[in-house]
Amino acid sequence: MAILASLWQSRLYGLEILRALSEKSELDVAEGTLYPILSRLKGEGLLDSEWVEAEAGHPRKYYWLTAPGRRRAREMAGAWNEFADKLTSLVQPVVGGK
Amino acid sequence: MTTTSLLSNVRIEKYLTRLQSSLRGVAEDDKQDILREIRAHIVDSAEHAPDPQSAIDRTLRLLGTPEELASRYSTECQLRRASSSFSPWLLFRTCWNWAQLGIKGTLAFFLALFGYGMALGCTVSVFIKPFVPKLGLWTGPEGFGIIIPDHADRMHELLGSYFIPVIAVIGFVFAIATTQILRWMMRQRTPRVASTAERSSQLAQVQN
Repeated sequence: MAILASLWQSRLYGLEILRALSEKSELDVAEGTLYPILSRLKGEGLLDSEWVEAEAGHPRKYYWLTAPGRRRAREMAGAWNEFADKLTSLVQPVVGGK
Repeated sequence: MTTTSLLSNVRIEKYLTRLQSSLRGVAEDDKQDILREIRAHIVDSAEHAPDPQSAIDRTLRLLGTPEELASRYSTECQLRRASSSFSPWLLFRTCWNWAQLGIKGTLAFFLALFGYGMALGCTVSVFIKPFVPKLGLWTGPEGFGIIIPDHADRMHELLGSYFIPVIAVIGFVFAIATTQILRWMMRQRTPRVASTAERSSQLAQVQN
């Protein structure tokens, strides 16, 4: 879900996805794990990709969400929010010290 | 270190050569795409670093050994193929590779071992029954199962002349059920939204 969510607003290449995950959610995903997952998500039709010649002097492979990928990300985010809300209400007395 | 010198860096080249030779079962086009992407990633990670050589070392370490990385790609590739296949051999080999990545894969491997083992045992029994008439589904002091009893007079054979058709059907059912369960497990790897019932169950577990 985190990888799909990181691509919600824009097309990103692998290193940018890692940075987005790390900066926005403190999720440290190892490079060796990320790329095979991207490959799988693409194989399942949730992502698409293309090589873009970058100013850096070498091409980069950019990923973006397909329509089914956006649908899946929205469903998963909704389910996650619902679950997180229930858990928050459960731990609220603990946090409040009541 | 410039982008050009990074692109021809010996350590990167060695890593990619080992990765290429370890990517078994991956289509040639996909293989070239993977190599190109990993090369771009290493170069991106190192080109603006104060010490590019250390950055390369760190990135290679985070990628894992070429063999480990290749194994993840190959297994992903195999799992995709196997989840829509009916080949017990492909499903079994995929489970073996999947088992090396985690608990779910290990469970799938033991299920494949049991299910296909039973199916194979039934098939072998059906084929050797005409040559070994004492083979049957026996019960008695020597135990219960498809065996050749030492003392048939003290045992009771349950299937008689129905042995071959019944055991053939049981073997077939084991093979089909195992195949369908493994395909289902492989398809379940796709991230999905939990149902309300599953969420309630998760919540109940947390509350407990």
